[in-house]
Amino acid sequence: MKLRTLLLLSAVPVFLLAAGGCRKPAAPAKADALRNAYDVEVDSNDATHMIPLSYQQAQGKRIFYADCVWCHADATPAGPSNRSNLTPVPPLLSDGTVLNGVSDDYMKNIITLGGSALGKSAMMPPWGRTLSPEDVKAVIAYVRAVAQPPYQAPAQAGSPYTREGTAGSPSK
Amino acid sequence: MAPEEMGKVSYRMRLVFAVCSLLFVATLAVSPVKDLLREWKHYKRGYLNLARSRPDTKRLIADFRPDLDQIWIPEMNVVDRCTSCHQGITQATLADANVPQPYRAHPPIPHRVKEWGCTPCHRGQGAATEVAEAHETTLAWEQPILPGRYLEGACGSCHRDARPETPKLNRGRQLLESHNCAGCHHLQDIQRAAMPGPDLTNVGTKVSRAWIYKWLKEPRTVLDDTGSVKVNGYEMEESPRMPQFRLSEKELTNLSAYLSSLRSHPVAPYKFSPAVLAQWSKRPDVVDQGELRFRQMFCSTCHSFAVTRAGETKMIGGEIGPELTKVASKVNPDWLVAWLLNPQAYLPHSKMPRYEWSEADLYKVTRYIQAKLTDSDLLSTVPQLGEPAKDEIAEGKKTFLEKGCSSCHAIEGMPPQKDFGPDLSALGSKNVSQLEFGKSTIPRNLISYIQSKITDPSSVNQAARMPQYNFNAADLDAITTALLAMTGPPPTSALQKLTVPRPNPQFRPAGEFAQVYERYQCADCHKFNGFGGDLAPDLTYEGSRAQRQWIDSFLKSPQTLRPTLIFRMPQFNMTDREAAILADYLSMVMQSPDVRPGSLNVKDLTPAQAALGKQLYEVKYQCQSCHTIGSGGGYVGPNLNNAGNWLKPEWVAAWLANPQALIPGTIEPQRSMTPQEIKAITAYLMTLRQGGGKAAQKKAAVQGMSRGGNGVAGQ
Repeated sequence: MKLRTLLLLSAVPVFLLAAGGCRKPAAPAKADALRNAYDVEVDSNDATHMIPLSYQQAQGKRIFYADCVWCHADATPAGPSNRSNLTPVPPLLSDGTVLNGVSDDYMKNIITLGGSALGKSAMMPPWGRTLSPEDVKAVIAYVRAVAQPPYQAPAQAGSPYTREGTAGSPSK
Repeated sequence: MAPEEMGKVSYRMRLVFAVCSLLFVATLAVSPVKDLLREWKHYKRGYLNLARSRPDTKRLIADFRPDLDQIWIPEMNVVDRCTSCHQGITQATLADANVPQPYRAHPPIPHRVKEWGCTPCHRGQGAATEVAEAHETTLAWEQPILPGRYLEGACGSCHRDARPETPKLNRGRQLLESHNCAGCHHLQDIQRAAMPGPDLTNVGTKVSRAWIYKWLKEPRTVLDDTGSVKVNGYEMEESPRMPQFRLSEKELTNLSAYLSSLRSHPVAPYKFSPAVLAQWSKRPDVVDQGELRFRQMFCSTCHSFAVTRAGETKMIGGEIGPELTKVASKVNPDWLVAWLLNPQAYLPHSKMPRYEWSEADLYKVTRYIQAKLTDSDLLSTVPQLGEPAKDEIAEGKKTFLEKGCSSCHAIEGMPPQKDFGPDLSALGSKNVSQLEFGKSTIPRNLISYIQSKITDPSSVNQAARMPQYNFNAADLDAITTALLAMTGPPPTSALQKLTVPRPNPQFRPAGEFAQVYERYQCADCHKFNGFGGDLAPDLTYEGSRAQRQWIDSFLKSPQTLRPTLIFRMPQFNMTDREAAILADYLSMVMQSPDVRPGSLNVKDLTPAQAALGKQLYEVKYQCQSCHTIGSGGGYVGPNLNNAGNWLKPEWVAAWLANPQALIPGTIEPQRSMTPQEIKAITAYLMTLRQGGGKAAQKKAAVQGMSRGGNGVAGQ
């Protein structure tokens, strides 16, 4: 009788210690993607859908609305867009059907060096002396984030992941 | 006990001893097991597994250590163990969105994680080693991490200046300032404004008691179901500054009695001359003429009002002045005329310019406002209040002080109450236990507390004196961000050194210029040496940019240089003398150190250069994509049809070389033009002249501009 009591008594601290050691980690609150996004942008196809943006993409958004929006969007913060004035008509920067087909390097070059350097319209000025390389990267990251249809980074041969050296934007 | 049994251990005792020993070993074993099962070790192992599944395993685990990682920066109070779990944070190849958290690389930011740690930006508990404790508010740890949406608030703890990278924070600070939160609360970096709300010393001469009652009871701003701000029933971007107080019927009656009794300086009715009355009072089109004048004067640059165009009624206009849709049902007609003639006579700090009116214009515009910007039903819901009684006035005065009205509104002989509301200068670092949530059911954290307090203070505190503000969702987030940035004085001297102070630009001109500058309130819209509004071009270097003659004629008759702009320079009807004073001062004082006056003379530019410049403009650089010459070209940059009369050649040359050096943040990109190209384009632009009649063209010819050149080009 005594033995059983002793065993039972000793089981209590063992159980307590074991329970303490095996405690399941507290689950963090469910993350809300939009609340945790640095900034958001309205989907160009669906005004009720918000696209979350990282810090870099948000900087790209800021630069887009300061410098690019005048010709690469249909509406600007200051009224009608200049886009319809231009021939050839510049692509909308959210137009994935056009821009998903060009590489990050090509976009970097045409933003930095201007249209004429790449045999395109000289109306696209070079921004390399105005925007820093980080700014240009940010704009590309933003364009990739808002593209409709969504942009898919090209996969490298032999790897499901992007290899180092081509990582230009966090959307990859 | 028998002696033979001494020293002999019974079977039972052996068993007890064995069990106790096992128990002891098991107890000791718990510690290593517990250690092995630690949350962060689980994530360490997970990272190893992830790294092994990827092609660049070697590089991913080059820095891997099995123990706790820590970034320790004593001078900044940083002890961050976040990288123990977030191990891929600096690995560029883990930037992919399908890399599971916590291993994903950090998106590119200006600060290196190794140098700054994590908590200075994300807050949360750097020293914690469990997921919940590091990220959320728990019993032992109070500061949760900032959700990404409010992350700019952390930027603002050190960056007290307005950086372009933090638009939300800047907007929030602007709102805190424009809504005069500093009137009641002590805020970090934001001082109490000189005149936050209108001075009410004479408000009884301006509005009726019924209107005051209505205004206090139902302010014209409401938030609709979608969270948009509506003013007078129309959507508007920014809410008017006056918040909504929760006042009882008695308080409304008393306050309206008190305020309407404030008429120490009665308005003398303006007597229009018989000639003007005879000419205009009977004309059927006087209201239309008044509207035309109202539009021509560009009152809408500062004031908004509802207009109906193509069957759709919406609010248009600026936000510097109050909304005017129903203003004629608000103000006393005599007061309106007196106000239009001299706003500063009623409110010395008013932003409204003192226009130079012709009597006929004043009559027409007043008639238009009274006929069209009115709503006869506005006061129909107000009960009959009658003349204010003595006891009502006394009670109203008490309510005025109790509600903190004097924090924003001055009344002669009634100084503002100091520190009426709580000190908010360290609100961002407050712990949840320091906040009072009352009976509300909102989540127990600082952000939801701030937002409930602003939108409905009574939800967290029944007795709160704070009024209710109707901000749309974006503005509410902006204000929250700015308040989260207020974390009090930096905790260490190193951080104090790192903190970028808030600039406080001042521009205090003197003499004749100051009088005209103040009369027309130039700094409402224009910036001078960093001081002033940003609605209109920065005039800091206007003297280097524009020719004096052009400034003078522009001030007298502003034509728009940018056809797509909604907000335009009002027609002030300045006198010749005033325009000359402004033009002289701007062209002499507001000069850029980078543009040497006279360094490029129009006389030295040849027609051959101008011809080359035209080529460069149209073909190589295709400036017409943004600028208009003749009738073709873009709307982004200013119209250049009159560049020869407007711009100084040395400015054009310096501008083409590096626009950002002259006006930081301008849209025009810097090109790599050679000095010859710059001279050629300058020469071309200086040939573009328009209007000004024969005299101006003759003058141009004398200046040598037409030496074989094409005179008026670009037609």
